[in-house]
Amino acid sequence: MSAAPFHDLIIIGAGPAGANAALSAAGAGLDVVLVDEAAHPGGQVWRAPAAGTHPPPDPDLTRGNHLRAQVAQAGVALRAQTVVWSVAATQDGFEVAIASPQGPELIGTRRLLVATGAQERVVPFAGWTLPGVFGLAAATVLLKSENFLPGRRILVAGQGPLLVAVAAKALKLGKAPVAVVDFNGLGRWVQALRGFVGHLPSLRQGLTWQAKLALAGVPILRKHAISRAEANDAGALGAVHVTPVGGGTPRMFEVDTAFVGNSLVPGDEILRLLGARRRPDPLTGWRIEADDEGRCKIPGLYVAGDAGRIRGALPAAAQGTRTGLAIARDAGCALSAAPAKTPRRMDRFADASCSLMQVDDARIAGLADDVVLCRCEDVTVGAVRGAIADGAQDANQLKHFTRLGMGPCQGRMCGANAAALLRTSPGTKPGGDVLTPRSPLHPVAVAQLAGQFDYADIPVPKPAPL
Amino acid sequence: MTGGVDLVVIGGGVHGAAIALFAARGGMRVTLVERDALARGASGTNAGTLTMQMTRAALIPYALRAHDMWVRAPEWLGHDVGVVSCEGLSLAFTEAEEALLSERADARRAAGAPIRLVTPQQARQIEPGVSPAIRMASHCTIDGFANAYLTGLAFRRALVAEGVELREYTTVQTVDPSAGGYSVHLANETLRARQVVFAGGVWLEPMLGWLGVNLPIKTLINQLAVTERMPPVMRTVVGIASGLLSLKQYPHGTVVIGGGWQGIGNRTSNTHSVRHSSLIGNVRLAMHAIPGLGSTRIVRSWTGFEAETADALPAVGPVPGFDGAWVCGSVHSGYTSAPYMARCITQAILGQEPEMPLFPIDRLLAQPGTDTKTQGHRRE
Ligand SMILES: Cc1cc2nc3c(=O)[nH]c(=O)nc-3n(C[C@H](O)[C@H](O)[C@H](O)COP(=O)(O)OP(=O)(O)OC[C@H]3O[C@@H](n4cnc5c(N)ncnc54)[C@H](O)[C@@H]3O)c2cc1C
Ligand SMILES: Cc1cc2nc3c(=O)[nH]c(=O)nc-3n(C[C@H](O)[C@H](O)[C@H](O)COP(=O)(O)OP(=O)(O)OC[C@H]3O[C@@H](n4cnc5c(N)ncnc54)[C@H](O)[C@@H]3O)c2cc1C
Repeated sequence: MSAAPFHDLIIIGAGPAGANAALSAAGAGLDVVLVDEAAHPGGQVWRAPAAGTHPPPDPDLTRGNHLRAQVAQAGVALRAQTVVWSVAATQDGFEVAIASPQGPELIGTRRLLVATGAQERVVPFAGWTLPGVFGLAAATVLLKSENFLPGRRILVAGQGPLLVAVAAKALKLGKAPVAVVDFNGLGRWVQALRGFVGHLPSLRQGLTWQAKLALAGVPILRKHAISRAEANDAGALGAVHVTPVGGGTPRMFEVDTAFVGNSLVPGDEILRLLGARRRPDPLTGWRIEADDEGRCKIPGLYVAGDAGRIRGALPAAAQGTRTGLAIARDAGCALSAAPAKTPRRMDRFADASCSLMQVDDARIAGLADDVVLCRCEDVTVGAVRGAIADGAQDANQLKHFTRLGMGPCQGRMCGANAAALLRTSPGTKPGGDVLTPRSPLHPVAVAQLAGQFDYADIPVPKPAPL
Repeated sequence: MTGGVDLVVIGGGVHGAAIALFAARGGMRVTLVERDALARGASGTNAGTLTMQMTRAALIPYALRAHDMWVRAPEWLGHDVGVVSCEGLSLAFTEAEEALLSERADARRAAGAPIRLVTPQQARQIEPGVSPAIRMASHCTIDGFANAYLTGLAFRRALVAEGVELREYTTVQTVDPSAGGYSVHLANETLRARQVVFAGGVWLEPMLGWLGVNLPIKTLINQLAVTERMPPVMRTVVGIASGLLSLKQYPHGTVVIGGGWQGIGNRTSNTHSVRHSSLIGNVRLAMHAIPGLGSTRIVRSWTGFEAETADALPAVGPVPGFDGAWVCGSVHSGYTSAPYMARCITQAILGQEPEMPLFPIDRLLAQPGTDTKTQGHRRE
């Protein structure tokens, strides 16, 4: 391990938020390191295609290519294919622990910007863990990087803007979905339109997608949701049952692949590891406590983009620029221009998107006992209810009683749903619904963490008393 | 005294929980007060190693009896804490470690632990996963581990069944002697008890400060890590001569890596976190001992507070000068020995002769300071 180098600013995440912050902070004169586990900047939405893949032109790809060219030209030290597995506060800033194929490294920084983006939230149903069921957001990743979707007979279900996007792109790949199952009714979409006019190109794109799906005769079942999935003889997805929201006769669709997703939640573990707090947000569930330029209450810690509050790509990019400038100003750089605020119309667009991705606690509270909640450790809703009856009053205790959240995803997938179960159970501890985040933030290979070493160089502490 | 209980136990770690259970079974009316949920500090987050090879020689007789209790937990606790009884190996990679290993094996054997030194070949027969680079190992036929995170659930069920009044998420503010017993002050309420037990782990120092007794307690910040589930790579508990490594693979496939590498923390604010360099060092040592770990991933690491007295021997006994006040904690490898320590001190609390001698704290008490309350918080 090398001795810790020290920087003005480390940015975790090279998506629209982090990369734009890097550009503005480096432009103002700061020494900036931009870290991302992906091979290229772009993040989730402006993701670079894998080498040799040529997806059709699309505005997100254009924006991503532009961003990548800018980062390459700016004086930003990009550490790609590098995962941040932990962070810690130090006397003069932060220590960022990274791992890459080169082994472990600890780098120091005076200021830290967390721009780690969002995570997908899925409302579980019986059978959602079968092979053949994928996340909607995961589907967009495959589309962007590989221009590919698995499956032959596919169904797309859930809610929000990604639903239509994935369905339309599947159609374009020649895989017309057997059905699109939308939790929201048409009324919710019409209400959202008022916000969507805030960004006309995106609205136009969304309407075009809907029209193409309609023209292709893809059935759109509104106010419906998957009630359960069934395995085929090989143990993979064979069929899904779709039921009207609020009850009614289920319909069965024989499919080999389902893309499901309901919401996005902030990927805020690093922020919480450093002591930043969540605050309830009526629209997006919660957000990280920060001022409108991204300053957290912890000195030197900043947040931008979906990691702090779900807003989507364009607001993330705008906020990144703004937070990058705010950091430069806090660091004493003289700025020529004051950072611009995110335009109001973009906010309205984001509000509209979020309004379509809402998940009421009551939906989770209504799940049957046999539904798997934590898929890493195979913990069912019934087991969680049993633990609550056994006296578990908060999320960490649920973890001890059931192993929920102890698997590789660390509760990223089930945390929000377990929280909803806790909140709707009487006698649980108010405010105790969140799992304490732990490093490594993502599983890290022992080989990468250990790197090359000699036994003699391991600083073994002095022997314990005999 | 009217309206009170026989015993208030302060601190719901493994010591406090076991004392409350045994005292209730001994016929006492017991209230247990815990600031968090039961066994959510050291007692629920420790490595669960039930080993003689990391236990101080003087505690081996207690640890052997406690090991037997853990193995039979379903009988006395009524619930399983995932105990696996297996063999253990402590490794030496250098000449200096060989010397340390034989010295320690001798002392522990003299104290009753079934430990013998073995050659690298023998060690690799016992544990095929171990590194060929070892020079010597000590082998103990009594070793094993528990699933510490199940401690709270198991004790909770047992305590509820035994009629112990459980006060979780309740902080004791201070304790005063009062006529015929003690007043235990909570935020909005005062409990009265004939006897009181302080079982506050690293917070024993501020707790005894409530009575003006100054028992210095050092705070160790132990750090652990766990791998994802993986195919079997080891079947024993593996450590090294210095005691700075502990490794075992749970039946569900995860390997817990520990050994007392130090994290970052502060007892007063009750905050602790992982030290990156300690995690890297500990993982390197683990990979060096069991090379098969090189193919897995670390999914989580965490820290906890362990208490240590000035002589690193337990604080288990009466509080001098305070009739009916007891202290129990600061036991090295304390999870291993806890049920037996708790049994012995509960015998004393019930007015019986303990099976084995306690570890009275008179030897450890610092001269009364001018202000014991601030001294109680001074050590960080
Ligand atoms: C899987 C997924 C797919 C999505 N697809 C779309 C879409 O198609 N269209 C759309 O409008 N919105 C999409 N979204 C919403 C998306 O979050 C935002 O629109 C936008 O990408 C937010 O920008 P950001 O910069 O805040 O975060 P992101 O773009 O998510 O960028 C965060 C970056 O941080 C990196 N990172 C995170 N943690 C670490 C770590 N520990 N170490 C190193 N690097 C790390 C990631 O690799 C990523 O590149 C998607 C979200 C998800 C989770
Ligand atoms: C990371 C780690 C790994 C370890 N590994 C092992 C191992 O492998 N094998 C082994 O034998 N031992 C191990 N140990 C040691 C063992 O965990 C401890 O010795 C043992 O758990 C101590 O139990 P306790 O009940 O004395 O203390 P604790 O578990 O610390 O319990 C004390 C309780 O008192 C409560 N409390 C404090 N103040 C108040 C108040 N004012 N009011 C109410 N309640 C209060 C606390 O919340 C806490 O729950 C390890 C320790 C750590 C930290």
